[in-house]
Amino acid sequence: MKFEVKNRLKPCAALSIAIMLIALVLTLMGHGMNLGVDFTGGTIMTYNMGQTFAVSDIEAVLEQNGITDAQIAQTGDEGTQVQIRISDKNNTDDLRDALETELSKTYPNMAYVDISRVGAVAGRDLINNAIKSVSFAAVLMLLYIAVRFDFYSGLAAVIGLLHDVAIMISFVVILSDVIRVETTFIAALLTIVGYSINNTIIIFDRIRENSHKSGVRTKSREEIVNISVAESLTRTLNTTITTLLTIVTLYVLGVDSIRQFALPLIIGIVAGTYSANLINGYVWAGLMDLRTQRKQAKA
Amino acid sequence: MAKKSVKTKNPRTRAIVSLVAIVIVVAVAAYLALFGFGKGTMIHYLKPWGEAISLGLDLRGGVYTVYQAENTDDPEFESKMDSTVSILTSRLTRQGFTEATVTRQGSDRIRVEIPNVSDPNEILRIIGTPAQLYFVDESGNILMEGSMVKNAFPSQDENGQPCVGFELTDEGARIFAEATAANLGKTISITLDGETISTATVNTVIAGGSGQITSSSFTADDVKNLSTLILSGALPLNLTQLEVSAISATLGVEALDRAVQAGIIGVILVMLFMILRYRLCGVVADIALTIYVMIVVLLLALTGAQLTLPGVAGIILGIGMAVDANVVIFERIREESAVGRPLSSSIRKGFSNALSAIVDANVTTIIAAVVLYAFGTGTVRGFALTLGIGVVTSMFTAIFVTHKLLDLFADLGIRNQKLYVR
Repeated sequence: MKFEVKNRLKPCAALSIAIMLIALVLTLMGHGMNLGVDFTGGTIMTYNMGQTFAVSDIEAVLEQNGITDAQIAQTGDEGTQVQIRISDKNNTDDLRDALETELSKTYPNMAYVDISRVGAVAGRDLINNAIKSVSFAAVLMLLYIAVRFDFYSGLAAVIGLLHDVAIMISFVVILSDVIRVETTFIAALLTIVGYSINNTIIIFDRIRENSHKSGVRTKSREEIVNISVAESLTRTLNTTITTLLTIVTLYVLGVDSIRQFALPLIIGIVAGTYSANLINGYVWAGLMDLRTQRKQAKA
Repeated sequence: MAKKSVKTKNPRTRAIVSLVAIVIVVAVAAYLALFGFGKGTMIHYLKPWGEAISLGLDLRGGVYTVYQAENTDDPEFESKMDSTVSILTSRLTRQGFTEATVTRQGSDRIRVEIPNVSDPNEILRIIGTPAQLYFVDESGNILMEGSMVKNAFPSQDENGQPCVGFELTDEGARIFAEATAANLGKTISITLDGETISTATVNTVIAGGSGQITSSSFTADDVKNLSTLILSGALPLNLTQLEVSAISATLGVEALDRAVQAGIIGVILVMLFMILRYRLCGVVADIALTIYVMIVVLLLALTGAQLTLPGVAGIILGIGMAVDANVVIFERIREESAVGRPLSSSIRKGFSNALSAIVDANVTTIIAAVVLYAFGTGTVRGFALTLGIGVVTSMFTAIFVTHKLLDLFADLGIRNQKLYVR
């Protein structure tokens, strides 16, 4: 298979920035990320109702007890489980009693599954910690790539990485009805950090090789990138397919918590493939050309 | 000369022998990994590897709680945090919760996880109990309580062996003097939560209100922990419960079952894809993938890493990524063969061309994994470990296993290039 690849950096960058802007506007309008209790603090109660149930029955009991902001979710294989999330952290014992007494009238087989009380601190700590470690890792990766390739390759790879992470977060904002941010989302973000750099390096390796190859090295940087991306394309697509095969299977078969993890991953993998092929190489070429121009201007 | 020609005459036979040997080893290992060995009938029962992996709380169910320590401005805060962690750990261990974990989270928080307990209120009962120290006589009568101990500190006995020195309150000194007088020539034992930690023969009446707890098995660490334990009917720091949570075992088991199921189907899909796309090379990749999965599972079991839900998902994703190195190699081989190189030389050239990309890509990912492991907490750390294990293993299987297998297949004399590359 032969591929023809052209520099489409401008429209691609515009698309990515548009996606990020939409997410930003949504956040400013108050439709930001759907943060799970891990990050907001609160209580999660889970019951198995023993049969299908009406969410309104549960809402009614909660309202009687003065709770109007609860999130109620139907879970479990047959949809017989209910998860009630409330922002109250403290006096849930009375509420539990009330729920169990009132609801067992309609649902005699209901059974308590578990209760979690979480503080917002844990989630915030986790985010801070993740940001710190990722920044440090990014600096080290930049250094490694700068040694093995050149400084601008490192810079372009890290820009690509930030792009993928930003796109992933943007989609989490845009799809906030479907994706809830739990602590596992952090793990998904980190996976994409690894995946993204992996994809970029394979293409940069090609660029490095072609930059020294007779017959190719005389071409412009942009053309070298075109050729390198085209030569790596079969590999990139096949790897993306195998990775997606496993992660989509996980999404299709997984329970709710796994899906909340798998969907952002799928978005991140697509974003990573997209940026590795259409953005990162051209960012490198642009940066290198800029440097050459400046050097020439000086001389 | 003659000898050499005999050796090189039959690369095909050697290749067949090697391949058969590899397949047998892989098959036996896979059998052991899946079913274990000698269940119940042998003295040395090998568990299926999957069962030996310790599961995180989210997969097996249990309770966890996070404590916030107060008085952070205490000059000895650091060492007090450490001893609080060790006290909590030993309290849990003494009550039989050997799989419970107590870890420092951030600078001033402590996270306690107890598997297989379902009521979050249990946690208070379990670790809320102060350690009970008693001095008892030979027939088990309590002579004195731990509260009579004013101070306890690491010390050394006359033989230089680590021991715990203690000072008693005035009342304690009086009681202890009477007790030693009454038990002259007999033994007095010191018990902690019903467990005898030290027994000594009373040689003289001890009236000064101070003494030593000795045991030939004491290490310096034991002595340090024990002195803190004795002093800590209360913990050295005030803790407030920040959060407490219970995860039902059924939810975790369901999540794990589904994830494992997804993993198996995912692997089969990837294997089929590789065979369709790369034919004989795909078979090589599939053997390498089988070895990859087994090594990862084995390493997880051996390192005692706790597997959490993101960890499982990370491994399953890793399978997809592990194939990548193979894809890179095969594509390079295909390129070489497309310009008319013979097969074995295409394999050699393609492999060496692919190597720099594979090494650089994996090393950068390993850097990320190491940093995340070193600085991360909780989920991040567990994830980093599975990521690191996955990446290192996939690099190993690609560089050694895939390469060796490809050479063997080439030696086998299957020289129809169409079977290797499309």
